[in-house]
Amino acid sequence: MSLLEVVDLNVWFDLPGSGRLHAVQGVDLAVERGERLGLVGESGCGKTTVMMALMGLLPSSATVSGEIRLEGEDILAGGEDTIRPHRWVDMAMVFQGAMNAFNPVQTIGRQIVEPMELHGVASGQAARRRTSELLEMVGIPASAAKRYPHEFSGGMRQRAALAMALACDPKVLFADEPTTALDVMVQAQILMRLVELADELDLALVLVTHDLPVVAQACDRAMVMYAGRVAEQADMDVLFHDPRHPYTELLFAATPDLYGEDHVVSIPGNPPRLDQKLVGCPFAPRCPKAMDVCRREEPLPLAIGTGHVAACHLNSPAREATA
Amino acid sequence: MTTIELEARESAPRGRWRFGQLVKERPAATVGAVLLALFILMAIFAQWLMPYDPYHQVGPVFGTPSLAHPLGLDDGGYDVVSLIIQGGRISMVVGFAATLVATVLGGGIGILSGYFGGATDTALMRMTDYFLVIPDIPLMIIIAAVWGPSLSHIILVIGLLLWTSTARIIRSQVKSVRERVYVRRARSVGASHARVIFRHILPQVAPLLVANTVLTIAVAIFDETALAFLGLSDPTAITWGTMIEHAFERTAISAGAWWAVVPPGVAVSLVIMACSLLGQAIEDATNPRLRVAHLSIRGFRILPRLPGKVADR
Amino acid sequence: MRGSVYFAKRVTLAAGTVFVAITLNFILFRAAPGDAVSNLSRVPHASPALKEALRHEFGLDQSKWQQYWLYLDQLFHGNLGISFADQQPVSHDLTVALGNTVPMVLLGTVIAIGLGVVTGTVAAWRRGGITDQVNTNVAIAFYSFPTQWLGLMLLILFAGVLPTSGMSDEFLIDPTWWEHTVDVLKHMILPSATLALTLYGEYTLIARSSMLETLSEDYVLTARAKGLPNSTVVRRHAFRNALLPTTTLVALSLGYVVGGAILIETVFSWPGIGRAVYQAVLQRDYPMLQGAFLVLTLSVVVFNLIADLLYFRLDPRVTE
Repeated sequence: MSLLEVVDLNVWFDLPGSGRLHAVQGVDLAVERGERLGLVGESGCGKTTVMMALMGLLPSSATVSGEIRLEGEDILAGGEDTIRPHRWVDMAMVFQGAMNAFNPVQTIGRQIVEPMELHGVASGQAARRRTSELLEMVGIPASAAKRYPHEFSGGMRQRAALAMALACDPKVLFADEPTTALDVMVQAQILMRLVELADELDLALVLVTHDLPVVAQACDRAMVMYAGRVAEQADMDVLFHDPRHPYTELLFAATPDLYGEDHVVSIPGNPPRLDQKLVGCPFAPRCPKAMDVCRREEPLPLAIGTGHVAACHLNSPAREATA
Repeated sequence: MTTIELEARESAPRGRWRFGQLVKERPAATVGAVLLALFILMAIFAQWLMPYDPYHQVGPVFGTPSLAHPLGLDDGGYDVVSLIIQGGRISMVVGFAATLVATVLGGGIGILSGYFGGATDTALMRMTDYFLVIPDIPLMIIIAAVWGPSLSHIILVIGLLLWTSTARIIRSQVKSVRERVYVRRARSVGASHARVIFRHILPQVAPLLVANTVLTIAVAIFDETALAFLGLSDPTAITWGTMIEHAFERTAISAGAWWAVVPPGVAVSLVIMACSLLGQAIEDATNPRLRVAHLSIRGFRILPRLPGKVADR
Repeated sequence: MRGSVYFAKRVTLAAGTVFVAITLNFILFRAAPGDAVSNLSRVPHASPALKEALRHEFGLDQSKWQQYWLYLDQLFHGNLGISFADQQPVSHDLTVALGNTVPMVLLGTVIAIGLGVVTGTVAAWRRGGITDQVNTNVAIAFYSFPTQWLGLMLLILFAGVLPTSGMSDEFLIDPTWWEHTVDVLKHMILPSATLALTLYGEYTLIARSSMLETLSEDYVLTARAKGLPNSTVVRRHAFRNALLPTTTLVALSLGYVVGGAILIETVFSWPGIGRAVYQAVLQRDYPMLQGAFLVLTLSVVVFNLIADLLYFRLDPRVTE
């Protein structure tokens, strides 16, 4: 049984006025204990929404359907009531721009202790001790606990947010663009620490990012999303060496290689609007390998190898038969 | 977290806005705009709309409302409906004129202060601060008392006190616009200050200025009624403010003639409400805050899953 | 002590503003053309003896600069001149008037703040729903009603039920302290209620917008992500932060309330400082006018200072 299993996740957002936006469509994914999964895609592809849906943090304008199984239990079924007990103790998060994750009028220490006391993990002196340990684990002096968030740099606040996320010893850690807003040196350090901690604590990591090198470095598996759907899902090296979706190919090609002489390929065009019904494959307008069938029929995710899934007509058996 | 709003808004419908769409999306603005438009039309076409001459007695003092006079007669036997229409014209003219003074002055000072910065800015802002500190109504009372009662004095006085908030708002906006690349480029090419201000900065600042102007009109009309109530306006002029003042001074209340008191207040309130709604809506439109409340009393909805895979719904 | 430097700096700035206000006051009343004090023929009922006394007191036979110094000196000793109307020291009249205004205004503003913050917060919490729309629109409506008109409406509605004029019943013979207090309180109900209703709308809108802003902050999402129940998130994280701008804006607006109560005091004949200003205008009682205006300006400066210091105390991000 997987630690976290998501079946047919769909998310709609109400638009002001009228209409709905289908932000996430039919997403399946699974995360095993200690595994590191990357969620990759352009901004607006739905990856953050997926993460929010899993933690049950969507706003009131959202509608969700599907199954979210945490250690076998469907936590989505009962809504807020079934999800909330699992927050922080089983699933924790480090937000994008975690600089602002802290309440400005409370000390860092107070905010790290808060979930510990809430979930009965520790309280009082024990909680404070644990806070010091956590802070040192992420590379911040323990004295930081007495200070206010604004007294720290962005990078340190990011680390503190990480410490806070680990406060209740969760099983899954979601990290949304954990390094984007920081400078490159700090980025590398934090990423490395994140991976080390995941190893040490046997933590499952779900890394949401648009930054391919980050995923390549830190993750075992990755899921590429496009227009709210899963384009491709596979182990990292399979994705790199045997991509089965043109979007994945282009994504890897679009990343400039410092040492190579490859031309930088950019992907022309824009992702499709999600408030209107789409006919065919959402990537067809921008796809260099688009065929007639791509514009007519939407490709469903197909299993290609073990743990390798891609939603592209190029992989369909009928196609292969005629190739 | 911004990604969620981005993901939700990036595909928001654009294109032609039909009226129905406008009403649904911004009902407050529509109500405000329509109401204000109605009052402006009423003021413009006052002569043709008034059923009776507001300067002549048409019945007994404090005549009760009837079919002929739906809002009754006031302390002089004048038809209240006609008074409201005529009064509206003058009240709104005073309000608009005072706002013009305030906007020109405030906008001018704001632009100069924000654009030139440095010593000019400091000096102008100090002056603005001191004006801000002076309590409006007492100062207006004193100036109106010293200069004598007349509508033009009222307009000047109100305008002289309302410019400060406009100045501040415009100044901060100008400061941020000034730093934009195309402005700096224009300056480096050698465009004169005037040219830069009028061609580049003013258009950017205009929406905010409009919103602020509308909101100022509301305050100006309110101030006119206050000054009139305290006997500092032209007593021969018919404005909503003087109507309320007459009702108070000339015992309409003890005579039980509520129809002499209620309508002018309702009229003023409606105009102020319209301005507030419209002004606020314009301000919101120029300053779109793409922020989602992360918490509200209703949570997200859950749809039961239909069997089988659904590609789209 | 944290903030002693900040405190000192702000107080100094405020003192500077006060000084400018005092000077402006002088200019407005004494140096501007058409000022009545120097033109003694404009003083009503001025006997030759009074004229002479005034001339001496205001030093009108001296230059403007010397008058200014005289004015500052008198001010420093708490001498605001003699009222033309009742021949009493202005400082005395003002103190009495202020003493009448403060309780009435205090009652009204406390109610307004309480009502405004509650309705605003609830409206933000239930945003978009009926509660929000009703609360917000009612607040806008009350905010739009001209103050004097609202007072008149209440007056009409409650004419027989509550006292509508003055601060106490003249016909109450030899009342005990308790009877007198109750009597005054009864008279205070309508004016304070008017003030409360006219003010609360603005506070509702401020509280609502502040709360909405706070609810969209990342730390609220984090608090929710930690598994805190909604009520705790609102109470411990959102509300505390939303209170910050609300407090400052409310404190700032209070400075103007005392001056704004003029309309209410006129409607209900409440013998406070607002009414004193109005009557001083009618009676051309310039010393009184000058003194009252000074007091009102000072109240704005004081409340601005309070707002500043409050913000500093409440928000740890503000540094010296």
